[in-house]
Amino acid sequence: MPDFQLGDLMSDSLHLQLNALRPALLRFALLQLRNDAVAEDVVQDTLIAVLEKPDRFAGQSSLRTYVTGIMKHKIVDVLRASKRVVQFEPLEGESDDDFIDALFKADGHTQDMPRAWGDPDATLEQKDFFRVMEICLEKLPAQTARVFMMREWLELETEEICKETGVSTSNLWVILYRARLRLRECLDLNWFGKQEAA
Amino acid sequence: MMRVKMTCKEAHRVVSEGLDRDLSLFERLRLRLHLRICDACTRFNGQMALLRQAMRKLSAPDDAAGQERK
Repeated sequence: MPDFQLGDLMSDSLHLQLNALRPALLRFALLQLRNDAVAEDVVQDTLIAVLEKPDRFAGQSSLRTYVTGIMKHKIVDVLRASKRVVQFEPLEGESDDDFIDALFKADGHTQDMPRAWGDPDATLEQKDFFRVMEICLEKLPAQTARVFMMREWLELETEEICKETGVSTSNLWVILYRARLRLRECLDLNWFGKQEAA
Repeated sequence: MMRVKMTCKEAHRVVSEGLDRDLSLFERLRLRLHLRICDACTRFNGQMALLRQAMRKLSAPDDAAGQERK
């Protein structure tokens, strides 16, 4: 009898905790999938999977890490099943070359000295930094973000990304490079520049 | 035959590609020589490393920070 009550309490608290995680899960699913309905489904599937086997979560990591890990697997499954071919029209903004060329002088030197970003560990401890990062990811062109998130968030190998998206390897390198440059610019402007001013 | 000296423009690209593929021995050597004398590309290299770390912690920043510190 006491055991039963304890179990009940635990699953209640798990429910509550999962509910609290839901908005964040949905944001990340959406960042990757860029489709509300599909993102909702993935989050729903993830929560059900966790609730069905609550004892799988043995507390070896935080609940958030655990649930996020499950959701990443579910997202990879969705990407594999959907096989959406990513079309990269040269124009998702200006052309790749213009954007990259603008950073360098004719002789190949950088135009400007990159800002010192300070201590990386200190940066990675700040929750607000990650919120700014999310906003910067939202601002990436959808296809670029999709590929970049596959590589850096889902941590898929480049071969697999090429297979799932139909993008050639050398094209993928350029897309990832451009995404990193854009992200860097956005973070530099909206985070590191402001830290410096503060 | 490729020149041994790299421009910043090349170095930036190679830093990024180094996150996605194995660089050749020659590329690594050229990059290392360039970074030794170039503060701009050294900073860029650090920024790219931070981006990678940050992306891996993106959806669970709290304890990821703890895990890394051993």
